[in-house]
Amino acid sequence: MAEGKSFQLAVVTPEAAILDTEASFVALPAHDGEIGVLRNRAPLLIKLDVGLLRAETADGTRRLYIDGGFAEMIDNRLTVLTEDARDPAELERADAERCFEQAQAMTAEDSAALANREKALRRARVQLRLTAS
Amino acid sequence: MANRRVLVRRRNSTRNIRKITRTMQLIATARFQAAFNRATASRPYTDKLAQLIEGLARAATGLDHPLMETHEDVPHEALLVLTSDRGLCGGYNANVLRTVVEHLDSRAEAGIETAVTMVGKKGTNYFRFLRREVAEVVSDIGDKPRFEQVEPVANRLMEAFIRGEIAALHVGYMKFASAGKQMPVVERLLPLSYEAPEGEDTAGEVLYEFSPSPQELLDELLPASVRVRLFQAFTDAAVSEQVARMVAMKAATDAAEDMIKRLTMQYNRARQTQVTMELLDIVGGANALA
Repeated sequence: MAEGKSFQLAVVTPEAAILDTEASFVALPAHDGEIGVLRNRAPLLIKLDVGLLRAETADGTRRLYIDGGFAEMIDNRLTVLTEDARDPAELERADAERCFEQAQAMTAEDSAALANREKALRRARVQLRLTAS
Repeated sequence: MANRRVLVRRRNSTRNIRKITRTMQLIATARFQAAFNRATASRPYTDKLAQLIEGLARAATGLDHPLMETHEDVPHEALLVLTSDRGLCGGYNANVLRTVVEHLDSRAEAGIETAVTMVGKKGTNYFRFLRREVAEVVSDIGDKPRFEQVEPVANRLMEAFIRGEIAALHVGYMKFASAGKQMPVVERLLPLSYEAPEGEDTAGEVLYEFSPSPQELLDELLPASVRVRLFQAFTDAAVSEQVARMVAMKAATDAAEDMIKRLTMQYNRARQTQVTMELLDIVGGANALA
């Protein structure tokens, strides 16, 4: 990787630090669409959606399934806080299908329940897409 | 002599017990290390989250969130109690439960009704024994809490708080300070309190690009901080449990060792007495013949 083009990327969950590496480019699943981050980006604090994070690192492209959370970019350090992060290869098709069915079966009698249902559906859809063979 | 055989049997069974307690001590030591690593692994996440909330609180004009509201007119509270599923860990559960019962009594005196959510078989059994009411039992978490197991519990309690059904959420557990010090505590999780860092210079302040607005980000960050604080309570409790078991099993092993020593001494004395008696018999018999 060319010197002077990379920055630090850290992905942390409550259970562990998943990733701490140098990256030259990171694509994040933001709440309003995908956002790309390069070196020397202005300080940013953004909410994330369920989705796939892509990072161009020295050992090739790393992919991570991210379950929402936040990302902060400051002084060439990108910190991703999420409650669940894992290799998309670890996701199981059967689990994703079950999540989708559960989400569809959720009732939505008030706005909070509706928001929960929407979130569960979105998560299930992303998992289905990532496990599609 | 029957006495001797009894002593041998007791010594053997004590040896077996020592073998078992020593093994359990070793297992607890290994589990403690694993639990400790898990508990410290959540540190970076928590620290960063706190840092972000502080930064945002400064950017947003004041903090205002349903999780920070006080419902003083609601005479209901929730208490989450973390105990272990397994025993043989000394005073671990007893200490947590004593603190919790004290808390419950003092709240009851203040006229506030507390709904108890119990985690762990030991606490459930104790409350059944006391004939105290348990509103809900969470039994599937075990001694390796995972975030996805704690999350639904936290979300459910936060929803109840926002709906105004409970005025506060407390969590009673064994706080882990160090390997040598754990204390039973009842901590308040909700309503969230936040002290604005006052009179601080704004030199360190960063002008972020926010998306969405700081207020909306806070709406997401604050529940996340409650979830992770609850998760930390669970991991703390898991570490403390292993420490307590380690100490209890060490004490049991030591006590068994002392007992074996004492029994060996008694056995030797009994054998010596018997030998002497037999000798006296023989000598007495020989003298009578001579």
